[in-house]
Amino acid sequence: MSHTRRSALAVALGALLAVGGCTVGDDTTDSGSGGGAEITFLTFETPNLTPQYWDAAIKRITDKHTDIRVKKLVAPSADRTGYAKQLLASGQFPDVMLAVSPAEIGAATNLYAWQPGELGEFLEPTGGAIDGKVYQLPTNTQTIPNVYYRKSMFTEAGITAPPTTYAELLDASAKLKAKGHTPFVVGGGKEAFPSVLPLTATVATEVYRQRKDWMDKRRAGDVTFTDPAFVKALSLVRDLSTQGYIDRKMISLDYAATEQAFLKGRGAMYPMGSWFAAAGDKSDIKADIGVFAWPTADGAPLLPAYTGGGLEVSAKSKNLEAAKKFALAFQLDKDNLDNSVRSDALFPAIKGYSPPAGLGPVFTATYELWQKHVAGKSIVKAFSWETGSDSLLPGMTAKVYAATQDVILGKATPEKAAERLDTEWSKAA
Amino acid sequence: MTAQLATRPARAAAPAAVRRRRWSPEKLLHFGVFAAPGLLVYGCFVLLPILVSVGYSLTNYNPFNPDTEFVGLRNYKLLFTDEEFLTSLRVTTVLTVILVVAPNVAGLLIALLLDKKGPFYNAWRAVFFIPVVLSSVVVSVVWTRLLADDGAINQVLGWAGIGSVGWLSEPGIALYSLAWIMAWQMLGFCVVVYLAGLQSVPQELYEAASIDGAGALARFRNVTWPLVAPALTINTVVMLITAFKAYDHIQVITNGGPGTGTTATVAFVVLQTGFTANRQGYASAMALVMLVIIATASALALKLLRRREVEL
Repeated sequence: MSHTRRSALAVALGALLAVGGCTVGDDTTDSGSGGGAEITFLTFETPNLTPQYWDAAIKRITDKHTDIRVKKLVAPSADRTGYAKQLLASGQFPDVMLAVSPAEIGAATNLYAWQPGELGEFLEPTGGAIDGKVYQLPTNTQTIPNVYYRKSMFTEAGITAPPTTYAELLDASAKLKAKGHTPFVVGGGKEAFPSVLPLTATVATEVYRQRKDWMDKRRAGDVTFTDPAFVKALSLVRDLSTQGYIDRKMISLDYAATEQAFLKGRGAMYPMGSWFAAAGDKSDIKADIGVFAWPTADGAPLLPAYTGGGLEVSAKSKNLEAAKKFALAFQLDKDNLDNSVRSDALFPAIKGYSPPAGLGPVFTATYELWQKHVAGKSIVKAFSWETGSDSLLPGMTAKVYAATQDVILGKATPEKAAERLDTEWSKAA
Repeated sequence: MTAQLATRPARAAAPAAVRRRRWSPEKLLHFGVFAAPGLLVYGCFVLLPILVSVGYSLTNYNPFNPDTEFVGLRNYKLLFTDEEFLTSLRVTTVLTVILVVAPNVAGLLIALLLDKKGPFYNAWRAVFFIPVVLSSVVVSVVWTRLLADDGAINQVLGWAGIGSVGWLSEPGIALYSLAWIMAWQMLGFCVVVYLAGLQSVPQELYEAASIDGAGALARFRNVTWPLVAPALTINTVVMLITAFKAYDHIQVITNGGPGTGTTATVAFVVLQTGFTANRQGYASAMALVMLVIIATASALALKLLRRREVEL
C-alpha cells in the first residue's frame, strides 16, 4: 500500500470515528420501507414500555404509511425531557417525541402548535395547553396517584374495607404496622419521582380541592408554597414518616425496585400512577391487589388525574408534514391505543374509544375508579405532573421531589421545605 | 553510607544570551510548526469555550428565552448567597477530602505489599486496576444494587444480626457511601502510580540504609517516602480534580439526593441548573467559579507537594 493510500485510509478512518462519535444515541432502529420521508422519533423505555413495544407500535404505522420511514431514538433514562434538550442544543432535535415536557423545552419556539382541526378526535382538545396553544397531543389520562393495596395484608390486619376518610387511612396504617407490615411503599432512587406520589395526593386533598387553579395562582404570584394549605400537605407526608408508616430506607429504591418492593410484599399500600396496573396485572399476585383513591379528611370523593402525555412534533422538522401525519396516526391507531392500555395501563382520551376486552383485574379496578370519579366530577389536577401553563417552572419538578424526600427523611421541616421551594421558584422565574 | 537525597534544586537562571537565542527566528519557526496544531486544538476546545462561558456568565442566558440581557456580575453576587451552591461546595469539599486521603493512603499501603516480582503479584495488580478501567456508570449500577435497602450488604448485615443500614437513603450516610464508591474505583489508579514510584527507587539506597542499621520503618521514612513524593503529587492532583468533577456517579446513584443537595456536587448543580432549569448564564458563572477553585487548589497542591520532592 502506497504512502498516499495509507494516509487516505487513515484520514477516512479518522473521519469515520469522528462521525461515529457524533451520532445520536446508539440504540436507534430504522422502521419503514426504503423510500419516503425519514423522521426521527424519540422514545423512552420503562418496565412497561419495552423496545419490542415501541418497535411494534412504529411498524404498525409505517406499514400503513409506507411513505414514512422512522428512525427510533431511545432516551438513556426516563428523563426524556433532559435528553431532548441535549439533542436540541446539539442541533439534533427529533422530529417526533413522546411525553417531553413542553414547558421545559421552549414549546413556543421549538414545538409545532396543533391546530383545532387536527385535534377533533381528542376528548380534551385543549388539555395541557400553554397560552392557549396545544403542543402535546392530549392522548391519555393517567390517575396519579391511586393507592394500590394488598388485600391479604388488609385482611390479616383486620381491615375489612378500603379507607374512605383520612382518619381511616391512618387507622389502617396503624393496624398494618402492628401486624409487622410496612404500611406504605415509597421509593425514590435516581429517578426520585416515586417519592412525590404521597405529596401529589395530599396536595390534591389539602390544596387543589379548595383551589383547582392553585398552580395558575402560583404562577401569577398570588399564592406561595409557604401558604398554610401547602405546608399542611407537606406535614401530612412528614407525619406518615414520623409515625413509621413509610420506611425511610426505601427512598433509595429506584422506580423499578420500588415496584418490585410492593409486588414482593415489602409493604401493604403503594401510592402510584395508574400505569402500575399493567405491572400489577402481569404479576402473580394480581388477584390480591386492590385500589382506592387517597381519601380526604371528610370522605368526599377526589382523584387527581393528568391528561396529555402524547406525541409532540418539532416545529423545525425538515419533514414536518410527515412528522405530523405519523404523530396523529400513531396516537389514533386503535391497535396502538389497545396496546398502550395493555402495556402501560393508559386511559386513551380519544372520542368513542373503549378499552379492549379481557384486561386484568388491576387495570379494570383502576379504570372503574377513574370512571366513577369522572361521573362524580371529583377529578382534580395531579400536582407536579402538569405540563401546560399550569405546570411547575422548569427545574422545579426536581426540587419538589427533593423537598418531599426532605420531609420524609426528616432533613427539613415542612415549613423549611416550603420556604426552600419558594426560594427555588423565585430563582427559576 | 547514608542516602543523600537532595530536595529539588531551584532552576539556575539562564544567561541572557541563551534566552535570546531561544527566540531566534529559526526557533520560533520550529516552535510554531510543532506547537501550532496543539495550540489550535487547545485554543478551540479549551480556551474558546472558557471565554464563551465568561461571556454567558455575564448574562441571564436561557436557550428557551429569546430575551438575553447583560447582567454584569449579578450572577456571581447571587452565587455567594445561593444556599444550593454553597451546599454543593460543602459536599464537594467533603468528597474531595475523602477522595484525596483514602485512595492515597490505601493505595500506598497496597503498593508496598505488591511491590514484588512474580505472577501472583502481577495478578493482584490487575485485580486492583480493573475498577479503574470500568465505566463509572457500570460501577455505579453495581454498587447501587449492593448498597440498596435490600442489597447484598444489608442482607449480610441482617444475617450478622446488625440490621440494615440506609447506605443511600440516610442523608447523613449517603455522601460517605458515594465517596466510598468513588474511592474504591480510583484506588487502582493510586496503586499503579505508587508502584511505578516504588519501582524507580534504587535498591542500593535500601541496601545502604540497611547497612547503616535502618529498620523497615526507618527505610520507609528516609528512603521510600521521599522518593515516592512525585507519585503522591500526581495522585493528589488527579484525585482533587476527579472529586471536583464528580458527576456521573452521582447522577446514576443518588441523583443529588436523598433530599435536597445531600450529594449534589458543584459539577452536578452546574449541569442541573444549566440543562434542567435552563439557566445557562447562571450555570456558566458556577462553572467558572468551579474552574477557579480547581485551578487554585491544584496549583497550591502542586506547589506544596513538589517542595518535598527529591532528586537523586
